[in-house]
Amino acid sequence: MKNPVSRREFLAGAGAIGSLMLVGCDANAYLPPKVRGGLMGVSDVLTMATQRLMLSGQPLAQEHDVSEITKNFPTWGNTNPRQEDFQRLLSGEFVDWRLPVNGLVNRPISLSLEDLKRLPQRTQITMHICEQGWSAIGQWTGAPLLEVLRAAGGVADDARYVVVDTFDGWYESYDMFDVVHPQTILAYGLNGKDLPLGNGAPVRLRVERACGYKNLKFLKSINVVSSMEGIRGGTGGINSDSNWHWYAGA
Amino acid sequence: MNKGTKTEVTEQLHRYNRNVRICHWINVVAFCYLVVSGVHIFLDFPELYWGKVGFRGYDAVFRLSDWGISWDEAGAMGNRRWGRNYHFLFAWISVINGTIYVGWNLWNKYFHKNLFLGRNELSWQSLKTDFVDHVRLRVSKGASVGRYSGLQKISYLIVIFILSPFMILSGLAQMPAFTAISPELIDLFGGRQTARTLHVICMLWMILFLVVHVVEVFVAGAVNEIRSMITGKYVVPKENAE
Repeated sequence: MKNPVSRREFLAGAGAIGSLMLVGCDANAYLPPKVRGGLMGVSDVLTMATQRLMLSGQPLAQEHDVSEITKNFPTWGNTNPRQEDFQRLLSGEFVDWRLPVNGLVNRPISLSLEDLKRLPQRTQITMHICEQGWSAIGQWTGAPLLEVLRAAGGVADDARYVVVDTFDGWYESYDMFDVVHPQTILAYGLNGKDLPLGNGAPVRLRVERACGYKNLKFLKSINVVSSMEGIRGGTGGINSDSNWHWYAGA
Repeated sequence: MNKGTKTEVTEQLHRYNRNVRICHWINVVAFCYLVVSGVHIFLDFPELYWGKVGFRGYDAVFRLSDWGISWDEAGAMGNRRWGRNYHFLFAWISVINGTIYVGWNLWNKYFHKNLFLGRNELSWQSLKTDFVDHVRLRVSKGASVGRYSGLQKISYLIVIFILSPFMILSGLAQMPAFTAISPELIDLFGGRQTARTLHVICMLWMILFLVVHVVEVFVAGAVNEIRSMITGKYVVPKENAE
């Protein structure tokens, strides 16, 4: 953790403009952790760089009116992880659930659901877009990922990715461009109620501007790293490990 | 008069410039990949909706299951990972190729000479004659060989300047990043699901164009037509007597 103070200041004190300029100038915002070989890599970089350029002002994803909220928000994929540790927490109504925040943070912490709810809160009515083709509008309430990292004392200078692991064995990484976005939240509420099991209880990630497969459910831990090399498949996520685009804005 | 005999070669003309020929064949490959990969993506979620939201169980405007193909069967046929990878790759190839094609041929006035309609071609009578000729599969001869008829020009102009941009925009309107880049674009289409449905309808329209296009190639003489799109040389058949 070199120069933790400067980075801490960036996360803790700097206003949106300062941090965004820092991210905007970062060439890393235009490349995935690992570029695929061949033409597919060219296509990935074209898509990511073009979109990131158009997003360089960090605009918010469209927020919808309360009247547009989808009743009975659909569930897809895993709706109840069978893993023993998850089932134990579920039967205790997640009272014992803890979210460890480790890696290149200045003060590793472990947050309970109550801790998370005490952090600054954000509620947003946004559209969930699944890469399969469906979409639905939900009102998500949660703690911005930036606030969680702030609670952990900020990140080290060489921090580049936030790696999120889930109880059902998924993982994905997010670069600082998405991490600092105000709508990137750890959501514990959907439509004014606790996040339902099928939608990823107790806490799921909302990364607006990215397809469903980046919006992980059933969060287990957060790890801040400088590189994705050596982490599982090394490409930066369970999806890119099996040859999906790491960048999911398209 | 000498109807049964072989047509004599009287003249060759240079029909397409090199840019048109190269872009055409790149587009053939890109279009095929885009259709096949798009179908793969669709099969993974074989329903279409109208408006902002749509999901399994929501009111659909089209369900593949109504046509005897269940969700599981469709899902087994489609591979959305392969589909997404190739759809975006060939979307880029198609956009770059199309931009070069349109830019180049506007610049060198190829479009002005060959695609933009003259005043006389826009007349109702001339378009009606064109239409009847096409329906009867009557091929142009003599002086009009190697030139597009008014109807052909209109078809090409629609594909190049209306359907292709529409395909790109309705594709972009489905991307999550565009909820932040330009929600106005998504709203313009009437919502994300409407954009997806129109993307499919526009694709079907383009395929209809393709079918007519290929049929016309065979009616006009496949070897001559295809050769002219490869080498640029088009052999003008001697005018047959009716």
